[in-house]
Amino acid sequence: MSNDPDKVWPTGLTLKEAEEVHSYLIDGTRVFGAIALLAHVLVAVSTPWLG
Amino acid sequence: MNNAKMWLVVKPTVGVPLFLGAVAVGSFAVHVAVLSNTTWVADFLSGASAASGSAALQTEQAILPATADAATSLPMYLEAQADGTQSMRVILPDGRTATLVVDDLTQAALR
Repeated sequence: MSNDPDKVWPTGLTLKEAEEVHSYLIDGTRVFGAIALLAHVLVAVSTPWLG
Repeated sequence: MNNAKMWLVVKPTVGVPLFLGAVAVGSFAVHVAVLSNTTWVADFLSGASAASGSAALQTEQAILPATADAATSLPMYLEAQADGTQSMRVILPDGRTATLVVDDLTQAALR
């Protein structure tokens, strides 16, 4: 296991694992951004924000 | 997957909480800054109408300085009906209220 030639140090992840972690992070950021965008639109419509 | 290789250098157990924490702290700081640097949030949360917020403020500013001479330090409130301009309620500094009836001259002229 520790002698897996695909592992990269210092973290010991393989490139495939790193890409998997990154894909979850990107997806989460997109969902967060979509919810935040919707929330800001609702606030802009229903409050005096932005005049 | 442009930056995926960062996870070969940064342990996800460190980097992911750091990233999420930075987002949380950043968005919290922005909202605190908005709350502490504007007045309309507090006004809105304490019941000021959103749609007529600026109009109501302008009305108050136009009316209050003329009548506030007698009680400079005491507040006086003027409330308009949400549905129209038929009547307004004045809350005087001593707590008494009075109702002002506004004649709709446009409607009267059309009859």
